[in-house]
Amino acid sequence: MKHKFLFSVVALCLILLASHSAYAHKIIASVFISGNTIEGEIAFSNGDFAKNVVVEVFDEENNKLGETKTDEEGFFVFTPSKQITHIFKANLGAGHIANARMEASELPLAQTAAVSPAAATPASAQKVAPIPAQQLEDTRSMLRKIIKQEITPLRKELMAYKEKNNIQTILGGIGYIMGLFGLFFYLAARRKLKQS
Amino acid sequence: MHIVDGALSNQVVIAGAVLAAGGIAAGLRKLPMEKIPVTGVLSATFFVASLIHVPIGPSSIHLILNGLAGVILGWAAFPALFVGLLLQAVFFGFGGLTVLGINTLNIALPAVMAHYLCKQGLKSQNPMIAAIWGGIGGAAAIVGTTVMVALSLALSGDEFLPAAKLVLIAHIPVMVIEGVLTCFAVLLATKVKPELFSTLRPAQ
Repeated sequence: MKHKFLFSVVALCLILLASHSAYAHKIIASVFISGNTIEGEIAFSNGDFAKNVVVEVFDEENNKLGETKTDEEGFFVFTPSKQITHIFKANLGAGHIANARMEASELPLAQTAAVSPAAATPASAQKVAPIPAQQLEDTRSMLRKIIKQEITPLRKELMAYKEKNNIQTILGGIGYIMGLFGLFFYLAARRKLKQS
Repeated sequence: MHIVDGALSNQVVIAGAVLAAGGIAAGLRKLPMEKIPVTGVLSATFFVASLIHVPIGPSSIHLILNGLAGVILGWAAFPALFVGLLLQAVFFGFGGLTVLGINTLNIALPAVMAHYLCKQGLKSQNPMIAAIWGGIGGAAAIVGTTVMVALSLALSGDEFLPAAKLVLIAHIPVMVIEGVLTCFAVLLATKVKPELFSTLRPAQ
């Protein structure tokens, strides 16, 4: 009977779980490259944005590089000046800390350097009149904008996917608990046998 | 409710881990064999409860159910909630591994307090009175946890009162929901399994 009751509590939890989206109060922070700047967003995993939060930027030795602030949609922009790994930290209060990392190799400074010669080669090979630098820059920023628009929904979906706890994980966790308490049982039983 | 890695100062994290280890040891020592299944099931309940999402206005909160574990288990709530928290940290990324100790303390200690608060009430022959005491225990455990969380933040440098207010206000709905939930769970338990509160006492 006892088991029936407690198992029904767990079963009820699982039923409730199936009907609700499984979010929890967790912080999601992500950073990505946009042109020459690093953009990032901070949100709670239930969909709330972290509004007007100060974001501090550190290097790997914990030296402060600067700080920025999120807007109404939890979005922030930081312009890197050095080709090093950037670590973004924000304190959202009540024990919530956002943490995100941008590796040095992903930084835009390295990427532009790599892209420029490649972009120049086909132009000269085909002997087309050289494109003015200004026009090239315009096209580039236009492309960036388009790509950003295109991948924004993808990024959101990916983030939602990452935060989803599927039923296998939950059942796996419950399985671990059963196993652990089974082990307790074994130990307790052995102790009892030794005593008697 | 789950404090994450890096939010607290080292002293608080270490003190939390030591105290939690003490609590877990006390819980395991007082855990009779008959109580192991209940402990496991309540651990599993706590583990999934945090995924149950209650929408409140534009935001939402999750259940904790430490009160229910506390009133039934007493000191055994420490190992039960520790296991639940450990698996939540590993599987869902709630909280973190370094702050496991302080999180266990923050959630399990109020549960044990709720147990002692409601001990007499739960033994009542009248199921309604026992259920009401259960509800009080469920709500009190949440209040205790919010105070503990605010206190850990305060000891790490945050201002105590604003932090406490913030955490407490955010958890008023949880308090109400868990009070009612624990009340009904106890009511059901007193009807189908009354010995859960009387004979299944830890061996003295």
